[in-house]
Order: sequence, then C-alpha cells, then structure tokens
Amino acid sequence: MSKINKAIGEIQNLTQMAEQDQWMNRIHPLVKLLLTVMYIGVTVSFDKYDFSGVLSMAVYPIIIFILSDLSFKNALYRMRVVLPVVCIVGVFNPFFDKEVAGYIELGTTADGVMRTLVVTGGVVSMLSLMVKGFLTVTAAYILIATTTIEKICYALRLIHVPKIIVTEILLIYRYITLLLTEAKRVVQAYSLRAPGQNGIKFSAWGSLVGQMLIRSMDRAENVYDSMCLRGFDGEFFIGEKVAFRGRDAAFLLSGIVVFVVFRCFPVFEMVGELF
Amino acid sequence: MSHIHINVENLEFAYDRVKDTRKDDSQDNRIIKDVSFRACENDSIGIIGANGVGKSTLLKLLVGLELNFTGQIRVEEIPLEKKTLSRVREKIGYVFQDSDSQLFMTNVYQDVAFAPRNYGLPQEEVDRRVKNALSSVHIEHLRDKPVHALSGGEKKLVSIATILSMIPDIILMDEPSAALDPKNRRNLINILNEFDHMKIITSHDLDFIWDTCNRILLMADGQIVADGTPDEILKNKELLEANGLELPLSLMQR
Ligand SMILES: Nc1ncnc2c1ncn2[C@@H]1O[C@H](COP(=O)(O)OP(=O)(O)OP(=O)(O)O)[C@@H](O)[C@H]1O
Ligand SMILES: [Mg+2]
Repeated sequence: MSKINKAIGEIQNLTQMAEQDQWMNRIHPLVKLLLTVMYIGVTVSFDKYDFSGVLSMAVYPIIIFILSDLSFKNALYRMRVVLPVVCIVGVFNPFFDKEVAGYIELGTTADGVMRTLVVTGGVVSMLSLMVKGFLTVTAAYILIATTTIEKICYALRLIHVPKIIVTEILLIYRYITLLLTEAKRVVQAYSLRAPGQNGIKFSAWGSLVGQMLIRSMDRAENVYDSMCLRGFDGEFFIGEKVAFRGRDAAFLLSGIVVFVVFRCFPVFEMVGELF
Repeated sequence: MSHIHINVENLEFAYDRVKDTRKDDSQDNRIIKDVSFRACENDSIGIIGANGVGKSTLLKLLVGLELNFTGQIRVEEIPLEKKTLSRVREKIGYVFQDSDSQLFMTNVYQDVAFAPRNYGLPQEEVDRRVKNALSSVHIEHLRDKPVHALSGGEKKLVSIATILSMIPDIILMDEPSAALDPKNRRNLINILNEFDHMKIITSHDLDFIWDTCNRILLMADGQIVADGTPDEILKNKELLEANGLELPLSLMQR
C-alpha cells in the first residue's frame, strides 16, 4: 500500500519538478530533446575498450547538475530501479574476453617482487558498458526532470514524429498514474474488507489484477475522451512562449561543441599530458 | 419557433460489450430505445430517472462519445457523425459524472487552459478565459494546485471550469451537484441560471433540477416517458413514484 503511494508520489514529484520555472526548464524542449538524443548516440558510439573516452562523457550531466538545481542524490534515488539492470548488462564480459588489456602496478613487496593486477579486455568493456548505461539513463532523467511530457510530445511533433505515436507516448505516461491509483483503490477496498490480514490472499490475486486492469483501461479511455471533447486532435499546444530564442541556440551549440570535442579528442589524456 | 440546438430522432443504442454471446437475437440489449426530442434556445432541460435508465448514455451519445447508434442526432443543424465530430464538440461542453475521468493535466491552470490552447488561441486570451472560468466557479485560489490534491467537490468545480473556458453554446452536465457542499451547490445553481445558453442536466437531486431547469425529460428503461415543465412533472407524485423517484424535498413540504 505505502509502496503504491510512494510510487504515485514519485511520479507527481517528477512532474512538478518538470513544471518549475528554472532556466533549464525554460530551454526550448526541442533543444533538450535533440541534445539528449545526440548525447546518448555519442556516448554509445564509443569503442567498448575506450573506457576513458566514455568516462569523459560524464562532463555533460556533471555540468547540468552543477548549473541547474537538480539534486544528484534524488536523481540516484529515482533511478534506483533501472540502475541494477544497467549494471547487469556487461557483467559476463570478463568471463568471455580474457585478453590482457593492461597492468596496474600495486607496488613491490618486501622481497622486491613486483606485484601487478592484470586487467583483461572483458573488465574494461564491462566497466565502459556500465558507465555508458549509467550516463544514458542519467541524460534521460535530466530531460524528464526538466521537461513536462506535453513539451516532450510537442518537440516530437516539431520533428514530425507521427501524431499517433506521440499521442501513444502521452497516454502511456498518463496511464502509469491511472494504473497506480486504481491499484491503490483496489488494494484499499480489499484490505478494508479483510481486516487483520497481511498482504493479499493468493486466491484473490487474479480477480484483483483483472479489476485493476479493466478499471484503469476504462479510465484511460475516459481521459482520452475528455481530451478529444476539449479539442485534442494529436497536436500539442503548450501555450508558453515557445519561440526559439538566443539562449536556446547558445545551449544547443555549446552542447554540440562539447560532444564533438569529447568524441573526437581524448580530452582526459590531453589534459593529463599538460602536467 | 425558436432556434433548434439539438434534434434527436428515433435514437437507438446498445453497448457492444453487452451484446448477447448466446446469439439469441431476441434478447433486447438496447440501452436507448427510440428516443426523440428537440432542444431549443432557452431550454434548460433536466433529465431524471432511476439508476441505470440510460441518462448518462444519452448525454454521451449527444457529444459523440458513442457513435454506433441508429437514428439521427443533429447539433446546430450538423448531423453528428465521425467526420463532423470536432465541429460538433466545439459547440458542446460536457461535464463527466466522474470528475477523475475528466481531469488529466498536472495542475488546475493547465487543465482549464487545455481546451482554449487546443483551439489555438493566443496566450493572453487563454489566460483571460482561465481566469474567468475559475472566478465564475469561485475557485481562483486553486489555480496552481496539483489536481490530485483536490477534494472531490473541488474536482467537480474544476471540471466545470474546464468546460466554461471553452465558452460552449451548449452545456451538458452529468450529475453536477453530486459531491458539492450546500454552499457550492447553491453557487452552481446560480452559475447555471446565469448561463443563458442551452443546457441539459441529469441529476437525482430533484431540488437542484427544480432550481435550474425549465423543462423535464423523465426517462425509464431507455425511453422518454414524460416531457413537460417542472410544474407538470416534479409535482406529479404518482408519475414520479411509478418511475422509481420521489417528490423533491422542497415541494413535499407544501
Ligand atoms: N460502458 C458500458 N458498457 C456496457 N454497459 C454499460 C456501459 N455503461 C453503462 N452501461 C449500462 O447501460 C445502462 C445505462 O447506464 P447509464 O450510465 O446511462 O445509466 P444512468 O441513467 O446514467 O444511471 P445513474 O443514475 O446510475 O448514473 C446500465 O444498465 C449500464 O449497466
Ligand atoms: Mg449516470
């Protein structure tokens, strides 16, 4: 029960964050969408052995977290469900790819023997996959936390993604909340009539889940009807001044420059050579 | 004869989902059976009837939420069908029986602004309409509240505001007074009486109907069994009781 409430609360927090009036929220949604897509593309494109290159892409989320008032702690907390999945992705690489990629010196022992740790290609590629996963999820989080779903849909329409797909995305997003509220109601109604019972009896699961789905689908249909009755036809009108302004262009350009520089030059190594 | 806003002729309708699976076509599953009526300018129609007689279904048909009906519905002379839907809906504001279904944006402002934005109005006009809609139901203070954090009655008032911002020619309301406290109920009566376009209201609250309507349609089992003035119908104890209703409280005391 309290878990459902928490989940509903999380979604609502996220939406409210996206609605705040911060500079990052005011950036044109299309700019944020494009940058996020580009960022994900660039990050994923690094070679799987290029760990330092992948790591250097962390610069974008770091800058955003510093400049905007997003909290990194909250971000980690909200992403906790997907992060383990991201970590599992590369976990078998070390077993398959045993080629030696390098050594790490651990110093010498008392009797003068050099101790080294062998790093295999598998370990490197596992780490870079994990970091890639983490960075892409973080970038998506930044987009969602600073842009309302309506604005994202609006941006998608600007680049001519078909109406039906965009509407579908919007409805799925809204459906999550509906499903959760329905789940809450059904569980509440059940527990009020089954006092002193911990959890839900297995025999009741089927009908409860069925009820939940039917009811939430009915409500989703109603919501869609309600949208259509008020003039919705697949186009999004987000109302606020959506003009493309100077600072949007500046943001987009600096993003692209950073991505290109970090993709084409081994920035970390170059900085290291300066010292 | 004054201008006809809604013209319904021989309307029949059955929900797909309750079609009889036993292929026994003799079974009658029609929810609306041969309904005809005309609604003219200045009509404030109250649709009354026991639970499940088809009041909500009739309203849904009038805004085209269910399209596989037989018979004809004309709204402002436009025949209601798939390709005229958006033209018809621009003229009609419909308040759902269940306000949770009606509201879907994150805060009150966004929800009330949804329709005017969809009509492509400039931002100042959108703001003006939202302001007027909120103030006419006296909920300016809720403007920036998240919708999920409203009480049942507040949600009702917000859903009424969402259609007032459309400035519709016709208002359809399904059980508008349910969930409202006496003060807000009285406010709503005043709002409805000030709204000088055509409106159709369904309600079990016959006192509310008495205060807001000048014409009554009494429904039973998917049909209109009586059509007359409030005086003729709401004071007719035998007629009401035969159809599962009771005299309005305010009339009983006389
Ligand atoms: N989506 C649906 N699918 C199938 N049957 C439905 C559906 N909605 C309503 N019905 C049936 O249609 C009939 C009329 O329902 P409707 O909601 O129009 O009644 P109503 O007069 O508004 O009742 P109430 O006063 O309780 O609101 C009911 O018998 C109901 O079971
Ligand atoms: Mg009803």
